[in-house]
Amino acid sequence: MHVLVVEDEAGLAAELMHFLKQEHYKCDWACNGEDASERIAVNRYDFILLDLGLPDYDGLDLLQEARETDYEPAVIILTARGELEDRVKGLGLGADDYLAKPFSLLELQARMQAVSRRKFNVKSSVHEFHGFELDSTARTVSYNGQNISLTKKEFDLLHYMLLHKNRIMTRLQLTEHIWGNILEDDYDSNYIDVHIKNLRKKLSAHAPTDWIETVRGVGYRLTL
Amino acid sequence: MRLQSKLTLFSAISKIVVVLLLIALLPPLIHRVAIVNTDKRLNEKKDSVLEIISNQGIGNFVAEGSEGAYGSYNLLKEEFISIEQIPEPIVVDTVENSLRKVENEIVEYRVLSLTFEVDGNYYLLEIGRSIDTIQESINTMQQYALYFLAAVILITVFIDLAFNKILLQPLIVIVRRLKKIGHPSTFTPKTINTTTSDFLYLNNAINDMMGQIQDAFQKEKEFIGNVSHELLTPISILQTRMENLLTDPEMPEHLLVKLVDNQKTLHRLKNIIQALLLISRIENEQYLKNEEVNLTVLANEVAEEIADRAEAKEIKLHLNLEDDWTLPQANYSLLFTMLFNVVSNAIKYNKPNGSITISGAPKGKGYELCVTDTGVGIAQDHLPNIFNRFKRLHGPDNESYGLGLPIVQTVARFHKIKLTVDSTIDVGTTFCFRFSGNS
Repeated sequence: MHVLVVEDEAGLAAELMHFLKQEHYKCDWACNGEDASERIAVNRYDFILLDLGLPDYDGLDLLQEARETDYEPAVIILTARGELEDRVKGLGLGADDYLAKPFSLLELQARMQAVSRRKFNVKSSVHEFHGFELDSTARTVSYNGQNISLTKKEFDLLHYMLLHKNRIMTRLQLTEHIWGNILEDDYDSNYIDVHIKNLRKKLSAHAPTDWIETVRGVGYRLTL
Repeated sequence: MRLQSKLTLFSAISKIVVVLLLIALLPPLIHRVAIVNTDKRLNEKKDSVLEIISNQGIGNFVAEGSEGAYGSYNLLKEEFISIEQIPEPIVVDTVENSLRKVENEIVEYRVLSLTFEVDGNYYLLEIGRSIDTIQESINTMQQYALYFLAAVILITVFIDLAFNKILLQPLIVIVRRLKKIGHPSTFTPKTINTTTSDFLYLNNAINDMMGQIQDAFQKEKEFIGNVSHELLTPISILQTRMENLLTDPEMPEHLLVKLVDNQKTLHRLKNIIQALLLISRIENEQYLKNEEVNLTVLANEVAEEIADRAEAKEIKLHLNLEDDWTLPQANYSLLFTMLFNVVSNAIKYNKPNGSITISGAPKGKGYELCVTDTGVGIAQDHLPNIFNRFKRLHGPDNESYGLGLPIVQTVARFHKIKLTVDSTIDVGTTFCFRFSGNS
């Protein structure tokens, strides 16, 4: 997958590129609108991560330019602006998703996967692991064809951990994914522990769940 | 009490006092006037009698030389004139009250007595007027005086009322304008149409002061908005950098724990800034109210979202909403945040095996949604401060930043929802949202 990162903050761009390369994406960086405009015209990108607040260019014009290419890249808008009008306009103009800064890299990756599945018609939405099957479209989990009933949050948690398998995920990262859209007064990591406990209980009724690993003082990891 | 009423009341009372004084003083005064008038009239009569005598001689009244007398009463014995010859030349010239017997009836008269000499004979002239008659005219005079005074008072009170009203109209306008101000930002300076310099000064002073307050508010809002926004960029960089470090295979495990602590601290910083930014954006009216929000749906979705937390703390969550209530123009996600924060607090500060009730019912022309918990409660002297930013009510033992309730209040104010809190220590807390009928 070929990704263009349009971001004028060099520090942020560097971290984004570092992460995406680790995840085996091929990355280009444009630090301003003009550069980005040229790159969009010349290259064929699968993804454009677009910061709306560019010094020289209206980010929404870039979105328009991306829409008018013949290769139709998926566009995810990243903005600290958060202004309502931009948000509405951004989605109206055909951005595929929207992430408000500051965002988690894991969240970005999850969104990119979701967008690419939609965009590039990835048919299979079934993950298989240790005899379990998770269908992200039907939102079901089963073992040997036997359905396992999970709550919405338990399912989201398992799905998110599967997307980021073999990687340590902190309780905070998991919390932000589950409750990230609600601005709250504090952060209580215990709720994640309760969910993981319930998840283990439900899954271990069918097979051992030692692959859900607790990393002491840090968080959890799915080893697959 | 309004100034206009006070002024009118004062002028009415002062007039009534004057009238009472007059009523007390009037009878002796009128009596005096009547007596003086009567005496004057008696003297006039005396003069005309003496004139008749000097022109026509005494013979018309009393035969000369004889010791006769002349007396004349009018029919109702209101007045009399008598002339009689007296032997001794005593000198009398008085006006006084005296009792006379007329046809077996004692009548009190005001009597003028005068002695005079004609052709060497002495005569006594008496002219009388009955006191009853005088009293009658006194009474009549008093009655008319009272009517007149009452009329004057009524008329002047009404005139005062009207005049005060006209005079104080600018003040009433100023007060009405001040009453309309819910928040300093809603104030628009207006001129006032009056020639009273005090009111002009008052109006200008209010305009100036409100202008200064508005400027201060605006600057504070812009400052919070700008600062928060500028801070979010470095936070973004830090957050992504830490996430990359977490996955770095060369990161030793003991540093990983430190990194997680850093992540938490950064999360806290991020949340504080985002909360301030949210409040500032709401106050700057940067959110739209263009959705229909059904309160039953809202409450159910909040309950669903938060049910697992209640369950984790073994707290029962009850929902009891009577009737449907829809806000025609609202912002769903803001209202969700508002209700979520209140219910989340109710879980946080509840007791083991406690419960939370989200209840709703029509009230008056509006609707009231209440969240009641069986928690630790808030002390009465803390209640007025719970909506202050960064005020932490339950000590430093939890990770609250003290911005949850300020967000709740800001969202409520943005939607013109009346928010009330009632709490008893160790019994629980109730937050009520009152949605007005015309919202």
